[in-house]
Amino acid sequence: MLATWLGAVLNGTLLGLLYGLAAIGLNLIWGVMNVINLSHGAFIALGMFAAYFMVHSFHLSPFIGVFAVLVMGVFLGMATYFVSLHRIISAPELSTLLATYSVSLVIIGLGTFIFTTNPRAIDVRMGALSIGGTVLPMTRVLTGLFSVGFILWLYYFLYRTWSGKAIRAVSMNRDAAELMGINTTITLALAFGIGVALAMTAGVLAATIFPFTILSGGGYELKSFVICVLGGLGSPLGAMIGGLILGLIENLITLQIPTSYVPFLEFAILVFILVVRPTGLLARR
Amino acid sequence: MTGPALQVEGLETGYGEVQILWGIDINVPYGTLTTILGANGAGKSTLLRAITGIITPWKGKVFFNGEEITKVSPHVRASMGLIMVPEGRLIFPGMTVLENLEMGAFTKRARTRMAEQMDYALSLFPRLKERLSQRAGTLSGGEQQMLAVARGLMASPELLIFDEPSLGLAPKLVIEVFETIQKLKEEGITMLLVEQNVRLSLAITDYAYVLAEGKVVMEGRGDELEESEEVRRAYLGV
Ligand SMILES: Nc1ncnc2c1ncn2[C@@H]1O[C@H](COP(=O)(O)OP(=O)(O)OP(=O)(O)O)[C@@H](O)[C@H]1O
Ligand SMILES: [Mg+2]
Repeated sequence: MLATWLGAVLNGTLLGLLYGLAAIGLNLIWGVMNVINLSHGAFIALGMFAAYFMVHSFHLSPFIGVFAVLVMGVFLGMATYFVSLHRIISAPELSTLLATYSVSLVIIGLGTFIFTTNPRAIDVRMGALSIGGTVLPMTRVLTGLFSVGFILWLYYFLYRTWSGKAIRAVSMNRDAAELMGINTTITLALAFGIGVALAMTAGVLAATIFPFTILSGGGYELKSFVICVLGGLGSPLGAMIGGLILGLIENLITLQIPTSYVPFLEFAILVFILVVRPTGLLARR
Repeated sequence: MTGPALQVEGLETGYGEVQILWGIDINVPYGTLTTILGANGAGKSTLLRAITGIITPWKGKVFFNGEEITKVSPHVRASMGLIMVPEGRLIFPGMTVLENLEMGAFTKRARTRMAEQMDYALSLFPRLKERLSQRAGTLSGGEQQMLAVARGLMASPELLIFDEPSLGLAPKLVIEVFETIQKLKEEGITMLLVEQNVRLSLAITDYAYVLAEGKVVMEGRGDELEESEEVRRAYLGV
């Protein structure tokens, strides 16, 4: 009994960290430029396919290739920003919502055409770790650790580097930032690029645990919304805490009820919090 | 250099279809304090927005250090040393006081002199020194105004522009703001000031322009305008 609970807590923590990482991209873009990135899930799915190809075509470990995906993701995200968002960034939110939704449709449409929707999986055998009777696959442990690593990196970047501080300044007051000599256009593009890159990174890590299709990002997108509402916008640590809460709830609840109820549960949490505390559970600092 | 630090020629601009400025000509010579006076809605902030590049002029030209900057974007102007302390402060509320000051020194030319400027700014505003790690959004109105001015100084400005720095401050703080500007003037910093407080501004300014309905209706040395019947009647209530 106790072992089952311990297992749920350990798995919940590790998955929760991954959920947190999956959410920070959405959180960053939302918090900085007030854009709800509906292509978030599609980029997570792209990350999963990036993992697939690095394993099958390049025989590269996803835990190494993930760094390349992070870098390429920044450029892909910045390009996406200039193509789809730059001209409408000051327009009403509906425009940016539609723009990111179209990006999502393009990625998923092309992805379905090229990869079909047959499930795929990558086979990374790295052994397992046994803690108090719970056997944790090494991929799961590494995924959790890498997630924390990337979240802390984002925190460091936003709070300790000039470019990161510029992103925060732009999120607080675009005009004032521009007057201080910050190129706000590049800064917004960079924020979007980093948000996309972190989404893809989460996709790479998730692919080492679960099978996937081009549509698999959707579930993470939903979780990301719940996490943003749980942890508040604009804080990587809030996203991590929100992710942990969600991961733990999921794994503890499924000890009692069937897994297929999980999405229902997530929606219920989302609606409940929105009704009770519309500003988020851990209000913005 | 021979010409003025800032030169505005025949500037016309507005918002959407609505024209606000109708051919403005002003000069800000090196090492001087120039003031723009005018009633609410005269177009003072609009003029400053065109000078800093936040809005684009429809007609006319803006020169800075003899170089035309009419179409240059605001962050590039800032990196040239044209710095504005904006109306309503516009500090970064979620950042600490220290971070706000650092952001003032964002441009390459300012970064190299950051430590120096930080010492200078904090010596002018010792109250900020005690609050470096406090979130700027939690400062009082007066402290936020000081922070906005200090942040402007962090940029090592070649031209420092103020938009109503005394707005909404208690009388004692208003005096303090003007004393600070006076000090900066003695340091030889070139400044352009927009103010509603006519009496105090005219007392310290070298030259002033009076704006009404988007046009310069009067100009002259500070002491000249102080003497002028029109100014006295319209703005000083004497
Ligand atoms: N963003 C804007 N969009 C449309 N009209 C504007 C905008 N900003 C200012 N205006 C209009 O332009 C005119 C001049 O405004 P401006 O802010 O330049 O005046 P001001 O001289 O700075 O006044 P104050 O002393 O009250 O600050 C006003 O009629 C104002 O309503
Ligand atoms: Mg104004």
